[in-house]
Amino acid sequence: MNNDKSKKIARISASYIVLIIFSLIALFPVVQVFTISLRPADRLLSTSLEIIPKDASLNTYKILFTERPFFLWLMNSTLIAVVVTLTGVALASTAGYGFSRFRFVGKKLGLLSLLVTQMFPATMLLLPMYIMLVKLHLINTYLGIIIMYSATALPFCIWQMKGYYDTIPMSLEEAGRIDGCNQFQTFYKIIFPLAAPALVITALFSFMSAWTEYVVAAQILQDTDLWTLPLGLKSFEANMGSEWGLYGAASVIVMIPVVLLFLSLSKWLVSGLTMGSVKG
Amino acid sequence: MTFKQTALIFASILLTLIGLGCASKGDGKIRITIWHQMRVDERLILESQLKRFMVLHPEVLAEQLYKETEELRSGFIVAAIAGQGPELVYGPSDQVGPFQVMDIIMPLEDLFDKQYLDGFNPKGLTYYKGHLFQIADKLGNHLTLVYNKKFVQVPPQTDEELISLGTKLTKDTSGDGKADQYGLVWNYTEPFFFIPFMTGFGGWVMDTSGTPTLNTKGMVDGLKFIQDLRDKYKIIPSEADYNIADILFKDGRAAMIINGDWSWSGYQKAGIDIGVAPLPKIVSTGLWCAPMVSPKGFSVNINVTGEKKKWVAELLKYLTSPENEFETAKELNTMPTQKVLYENDYIKKNEILRNSQMQIDRGKLMPVVPEMRAIWDSMRPSYQAVLNGENTPEEAAREMQRNALQRIREMNE
Amino acid sequence: MKNWRHNAYVFFLVAPAFVILIGVVIYPFLYNIVLSLSNMSLAHIRDWKIIGFQQYTKIFTEPSQPDFYVVFLKTIIWTVVNLFFHVVIGVSLALVLNQKEIRGKAMFRTLLVLPWAVPQLIVALTWRGMFNYEYGSINLILTQWFGMHPIAWLKSPLEAFIAVIITNVWLGFPFMMVIALGALQSIPHDLYEAAEIDGASWYHKLKNITIPLIRPVMVPAITLGTIWTFNNLNIVWLVSNAGEPSDQTHLMVSFVYKAAFNFYRYGYGAALSMVIFVVLLVFSLVFMRKTKATEAVY
Repeated sequence: MNNDKSKKIARISASYIVLIIFSLIALFPVVQVFTISLRPADRLLSTSLEIIPKDASLNTYKILFTERPFFLWLMNSTLIAVVVTLTGVALASTAGYGFSRFRFVGKKLGLLSLLVTQMFPATMLLLPMYIMLVKLHLINTYLGIIIMYSATALPFCIWQMKGYYDTIPMSLEEAGRIDGCNQFQTFYKIIFPLAAPALVITALFSFMSAWTEYVVAAQILQDTDLWTLPLGLKSFEANMGSEWGLYGAASVIVMIPVVLLFLSLSKWLVSGLTMGSVKG
Repeated sequence: MTFKQTALIFASILLTLIGLGCASKGDGKIRITIWHQMRVDERLILESQLKRFMVLHPEVLAEQLYKETEELRSGFIVAAIAGQGPELVYGPSDQVGPFQVMDIIMPLEDLFDKQYLDGFNPKGLTYYKGHLFQIADKLGNHLTLVYNKKFVQVPPQTDEELISLGTKLTKDTSGDGKADQYGLVWNYTEPFFFIPFMTGFGGWVMDTSGTPTLNTKGMVDGLKFIQDLRDKYKIIPSEADYNIADILFKDGRAAMIINGDWSWSGYQKAGIDIGVAPLPKIVSTGLWCAPMVSPKGFSVNINVTGEKKKWVAELLKYLTSPENEFETAKELNTMPTQKVLYENDYIKKNEILRNSQMQIDRGKLMPVVPEMRAIWDSMRPSYQAVLNGENTPEEAAREMQRNALQRIREMNE
Repeated sequence: MKNWRHNAYVFFLVAPAFVILIGVVIYPFLYNIVLSLSNMSLAHIRDWKIIGFQQYTKIFTEPSQPDFYVVFLKTIIWTVVNLFFHVVIGVSLALVLNQKEIRGKAMFRTLLVLPWAVPQLIVALTWRGMFNYEYGSINLILTQWFGMHPIAWLKSPLEAFIAVIITNVWLGFPFMMVIALGALQSIPHDLYEAAEIDGASWYHKLKNITIPLIRPVMVPAITLGTIWTFNNLNIVWLVSNAGEPSDQTHLMVSFVYKAAFNFYRYGYGAALSMVIFVVLLVFSLVFMRKTKATEAVY
């Protein structure tokens, strides 16, 4: 028993060491980005290692909100990301369920064709995509960009949902059916809550695809009033004359909603109780 | 939240979005959009000039949109081929070549009267294949020697002076064998920043027919000179890209930097008391180091037709008027293209502008042919191989020439 | 009758997603195939015509700068190494975080997810700065803490390649960690308890319970992760400053990018992207067959 206990202590301490080391590695470059935002005169790099520069100032954050339409970009991006997230969750959770639970003609082909959409280098798709969007009158509209983003996020989300549904035993549904639920009810009363971790991943992934995407946005949104955060951030950049201070500050702020979203969703990401309790 | 509620919220958001997408501002107005790759300080001036134009002509809605260099070029090509795109594109003259070949910008000589065009410095009007395709409001984009007045009182006139001054100002104060202050820094790994030395030793990128001329004595000597600055005289850092050079100069750890007109205001903002001087003369050849100079200006989208053409011409005329060019020059220390401004007292007396103009006069105009792209891309790897000691200057020059010829052949097939 | 209802139900589940995907993807896809058979280039941008498979022949037979096959090999190494570290680091951290006894999980999770949240451009350039020979923090740490010699990260091809891989591993592991965390929740605790009663070792539990049960969720992530990594342009481009040193840090997509946007060789670029497409398609087919990803576990 004693041996077991010391083994356990060793395991836990090793775990903490691993977590601390990786957290530091994860944090270090991010802290540097924060430092950039504190440095006056747009200095991207520094010849010293200090985190808070001697002439640090929070001026960049003030400029961001008072002199630049940063708040507008934030709102636009939030709107788009939220809609893309809802679309992603709604469509991927249903399509993934279809792929996981049913046999039908073209199922394998369908799953594969989802991957196919991701295999092309995006650079070559810009021209045809633009021509298509012009013809559909979707240039300069949020609808256009939301469709594009949903299309980018969906393949992964569907696959991922399908994979997760695969791990939920069929017997649960059969039990539900016996209790008098119809097909749709078994799906959204029994399976849907059990798939919470996968739904969280789908939501996070959809959100991030919309939150950080630049290339497609630059093609579609030509009106500055419609700009999203990545477009706004890019406007701080100029060939050999970038406003790195503002870029750093904006990057720090851009991270905050992502971190908050992650914090609020991770409760369901790691909610191990559902599966154990039902299956047991 | 129940499923129904979610669906309801979802549907209403979608509907609002569709509504938003349809509403467009400035209905009924003539809408003119400019795509540009200006820095922020330039953008702000353009914005205020557009606002003034719209007060004069309320029937026009003029907008400016920043695009990063590569993004602007590829985005404009894509949009113009699809029959769309901004009415005006602004940038350095080298975009004229590819745009003309693709037939996505229009000749401008018929839009303007001769008297107006005669007012320009000929360097500011970019002709290609016999037609005028770009009208510039600024001349420059050129490299100069920028020095920190704290360390340098009299800027070097020759390469020998540059080396002796550089040696004096490269210091190891901490005594760890590494320099803590450099005499000279710059983004020397990038071919554009190497051009002045190539020209100083008598080389140039292409002949008049557009054939690359990279395998020359000027190229080889230029390469050796850079090697010597780093390895023999040790007055430049062993590794420097744009950001490293920039930060060393901003932190006061470099006495001189070779950088373009775009960088000056940033150094002043960083609290450095700068002086601007023309690049030195190479004693052995008697030639001044000549940077590339390019006008920056406006081209008109081929898809602009009818009534709109008139307004686009009107706007272009307004933006390149002597008053507006003077405003820009005063703010940004850029060289205007309107000849009348060269007699302006402010411009004649401003020390930075005076030296900048001297440098422009000694510089060489950047070729506008699309093949220039192939030359840059062929120079870069071989040049860096020399710097990394993987190749000799002689072999690198041969390699550059060979690759440039191949790339140009591939481009034109 | 039942069959009809069954089909209608499946259709209702799957169709909405596919309508969007097909609408968005089919046209560009066909366009690209046509383009790859054409001579569209700077000189023929509006009057292009179909010339057959010439662009493909060019890719495989004509010498290019840098060499096509070398870049192809590098892209494969890049993809494999990246994916390996993404998955190993991601899954390991998820396993560590999934232990009951660990306190401050929420804090660790949040810190570890930061590389995913930070905007890539600025952090890639920050990494480039960190790899600088004289002033970069990595060399400063190596020399001052470990007494090693500084490494010329960005000046030699191998080190530069390692530098871009390090950056991308850093950017990519949080994503795999999040997926793995989610996947681990689908494993009922009683399976482990039963195994412990049988006296199964740590390795046995990993091999016989954990890996098989997170597989259905991890396989799609790995497949798509491979595809994304293979086609990742930004990180290599930014950290190596467009291929430095001497154009030796390029991936296949940089070829496509350069062909299309620097040299306006659209036909050639389209053919190249078809080659990439086929490579990835073959990979996915083989990988999915091996891992039985399209089939259900139960």
